[in-house]
Amino acid sequence: MKLPDFLRLSPKWAPYVFISPFVLLFVVFSVFPLCFSLYLAFQSWEPTGGLRAMEFVGFSNFAFALKDSWFWMSLKNTLWLAVASGVPQHLVALPLAAFIHTSFKRLRDGVIAVYFLPYITSTVAIAIMFGSLFSKDYGVINATLASLFGMEHVDWLTNSVHIKPAIAFIVFWRYVGFNTVLYLAAMQTIPGELYEAATLDGASRLRQFFHITLPSIKPMIFFGVTLSVIGGLQLFEEPFILTGGKGGPQQAAMTSAVYLFREAFDFNDFGGASAMSWLLFLVVALLTWITNIAFRTRKGATQ
Amino acid sequence: MSSSSHFLRGARTSPTRRAVLAAGVAVAFAPTVRARTSRTLTVAAFPLVDQIVKDAIPQWAQRHPDVGINIVMRQYDDHHTAMTTALSTAVYLPDVMALESSYVGKFSNGGGLSDLLQPRYDIGRHRARYVEYAYNQAINRKGQVVAAPTDIGPGTFLYRADILERAGVTAADMQRSWDAYVDGGIRIKKATGANLIGNVKTLKDIMIRSGLQAGQGIYFDSDSNVLVDTPRFHRAFELALRARRNGLEGRLATWSNEWAEAFRRGVTSTELGGSWMVGQLANWVAPVTAGKWRAAQLPESTWVSYGGTYYAIPRDSDPELKALAWELVEMMTLDTGRQLAALKTQDAFPALLSAQDDATFDQPSEFLGGQHARVLWREAARHITATAVHKQSNFAEDAVNAELDNVLDDGKDIKQALADAAKLLQLRAKR
Amino acid sequence: MSAVASTAPQIGADAPAARAARWTAYAIVGIGALFMLAPFWLMFVFATHSRGEIFNLPPPLWFGDDLAANFKLLTERIPFWRNLGWSVYVALMATVLTLLFCSMAGYAFALMEFRFKKALFGLVMATMLLPSFMNMIPMFMIMDALGWIDQQRALYVPGAASAFGIFLMRQFASTAVPRELIEAARMDGCGEFSIYWRIVLPLMKPALGTLALITFIQSWNNFINPLIVMRSTPNYTLPLALRSLQSTLNTEWGALMCGSAIATIPLIVLFAITSRQLIAGLTAGAVK
Repeated sequence: MKLPDFLRLSPKWAPYVFISPFVLLFVVFSVFPLCFSLYLAFQSWEPTGGLRAMEFVGFSNFAFALKDSWFWMSLKNTLWLAVASGVPQHLVALPLAAFIHTSFKRLRDGVIAVYFLPYITSTVAIAIMFGSLFSKDYGVINATLASLFGMEHVDWLTNSVHIKPAIAFIVFWRYVGFNTVLYLAAMQTIPGELYEAATLDGASRLRQFFHITLPSIKPMIFFGVTLSVIGGLQLFEEPFILTGGKGGPQQAAMTSAVYLFREAFDFNDFGGASAMSWLLFLVVALLTWITNIAFRTRKGATQ
Repeated sequence: MSSSSHFLRGARTSPTRRAVLAAGVAVAFAPTVRARTSRTLTVAAFPLVDQIVKDAIPQWAQRHPDVGINIVMRQYDDHHTAMTTALSTAVYLPDVMALESSYVGKFSNGGGLSDLLQPRYDIGRHRARYVEYAYNQAINRKGQVVAAPTDIGPGTFLYRADILERAGVTAADMQRSWDAYVDGGIRIKKATGANLIGNVKTLKDIMIRSGLQAGQGIYFDSDSNVLVDTPRFHRAFELALRARRNGLEGRLATWSNEWAEAFRRGVTSTELGGSWMVGQLANWVAPVTAGKWRAAQLPESTWVSYGGTYYAIPRDSDPELKALAWELVEMMTLDTGRQLAALKTQDAFPALLSAQDDATFDQPSEFLGGQHARVLWREAARHITATAVHKQSNFAEDAVNAELDNVLDDGKDIKQALADAAKLLQLRAKR
Repeated sequence: MSAVASTAPQIGADAPAARAARWTAYAIVGIGALFMLAPFWLMFVFATHSRGEIFNLPPPLWFGDDLAANFKLLTERIPFWRNLGWSVYVALMATVLTLLFCSMAGYAFALMEFRFKKALFGLVMATMLLPSFMNMIPMFMIMDALGWIDQQRALYVPGAASAFGIFLMRQFASTAVPRELIEAARMDGCGEFSIYWRIVLPLMKPALGTLALITFIQSWNNFINPLIVMRSTPNYTLPLALRSLQSTLNTEWGALMCGSAIATIPLIVLFAITSRQLIAGLTAGAVK
């Protein structure tokens, strides 16, 4: 289909035309909220009074956030949960992907599908499900633990010590399959000759795993870990729904994101919540940057 | 021969694919054509209030056949979140907003709700028809009345008559004072093995609500001073600790299945809550225990309210519909028939005094073994006083609960715990 | 598929130790699979039991006979089919729009030069780091200004500018589409849109498939956005509608499980059809 000359897009202008729908939506639906939230961080605002109720208060929201013990506690909770759910995800996903990669030919697609399933389900459905599974006296999990190991029923959801592992487990359950699939996909691009050569040289499978598989999929590991870092630090839906939006016993399950939400909608402090969100953003940016550096230096060393 | 032309010849441009895409983009961005309909009142509510409003539609339709009622129902928390958002931007507000009593307090000072004392509504002339504290609860710091009460939850003391009898304890014994209540619990435990209460926080919650001075809130006073480090809290914490130490508490999360099961099995012998708790027990929590419970006034003549529902009209809602909105609110709250209908179908205790005088109130409650409990609660409602709700009340509640857990689970010293809570609240009090 | 299989190191076929190792691997993967499936299984089982039965000890592990009752209760409380329909519609629209806009923009970022390219891309990536719910109130304001409140377009249009989408598209385009091909097409006199439509897009099929799947899933499961923007129950999408069944007091567990189970089925079906695409897309796109 050839357009007449005057309508044809010249290569000079083409980029701008191609990015314009995206950029338009991006400005309206991403940039504006960003700016508004930054503006809001410097205001004191009782939201039910409407927009006219805003009052400029300088940095006092930030000062408040930094002095607020709940802000720091929520950050601690978030980091704990991010590590406790994130590390096992990848530690399990890597060998699991390797197992599947080497042992399954015909069933591979089926196995992948099964492992990916938790990722695609709605958090609302999952949280409801696990809410019933973690029930102290009537939940399947305690029933299984009791029959397999003779353990007493654990109070998962109303005990401040146990609720964290429970949530970490749910997040782990949800994403381990996703990461497995990612790594599996990456492993499929490793040329078979590398392995053949190594086997000929007498290297054990374990050595092959550590010296061929892992280094080859480093970019994918970086990708997966970055997603986990960002996602873990923003963890919101699982703790929110599982604790009914409250943050759990003694706020043990209150991640930074849940705290922000509560600060805005339960405690009606949008200014404070905005300030906290920007502080949280700095933390996330910092940690992402660190992850970046960590992977880049190691990549440079092995290449 | 460049490889690109090879591609071009091979690529099939499917006209249908393009058409679908074009259609999709067009649909996404085309302006909608909205038909002009007759007027509709939008009512935002949560379960089960939405059902109560739905039941009123036939009566409304008789009065205003050309004005429809559209009910937007959301789950309780989501509803209040959505109302917060709508009020914050003052757009697409419902014409009538159902609010739970604690949220009325939160929203009342923001200025987002219409002052119903204004001449066009003039709720002031109806003041005497409502339960006094319910009406007062809707008065904000500026003296405006921001909502109309529709149902209330007078606090009540529910107990298993059979278990108490076996332990040789009478309700009157336990009503003498809160210490006597806990003492009774000890005797019940010894004699029958049943727990006094499912969750000791319920006990703490009632006790910190008693003994308030006029205009004082639970956690803050009108000058935003923190009230957490006061004898009222100390006593509540001490009694809670005593109950825990004597094993009188089930340590169950309220409304959880374990909590409900404890009722079914007779493991929990008393409960402190709103009158609507009876309906919950009867309907799904523990219907098997029907007939074994009795209601009484709370120990130590404590008069407390547990929740309640209000209807408010947002200040910035559609001005053309405001008169109709108010008419609907009047119908829901001042029409005896509607109040009694809500009582019958949803167990909503009327805030309208004339409804309380109806013969229905003398009906015995089957679940309570034929007791005329409504009379009891009617009496209780007359003694309750309104409590001011501070902006930080939600946070205060969580902070105090967290410290209570520290005391109960980790053995923290009560004085230290309350001092810490006070410090935390001081940081926030003036925000 | 055969090319893929040959890259896998073969576990030594004959030695008994190796065979034991293989069977251990099977067992581990099998147990893991059971782990993944168990909650789903239970969800479907619970969907067929009444509330009282769900919370029995021991809990039911096989199907009951309350499915019809649960479903009836479900459809009584919420306009279930309508909500389901809206979920489908919104997810489809979101997918179409996101694919279109992100592929166009991703192609431009990968293979064209223009001013502020790096800065813009950096800005887009940075927005991924912000907690999403801080958008709630400004989003509401914008929707009102546009007149989109209580309209489904408010749900699928904003997401079309997806940072993840453009990231994936850009990655894939930069590896899968050779620049020379495009240059050659230009020299042949091919128009820019034709290049995009007939050369670039077909080459990006795997990534498009991946993005389509992910977009569909995210749109289907989203409930915060509908909460803010939708005003009337008949216009709700499914998660929002289901959540309104979940009240603190008297949750209708049976109906809730039934609704949740039904809500999951389309995703499972979709995934079953497209899982191969997904792997291919993830492989090619993210290895860089």
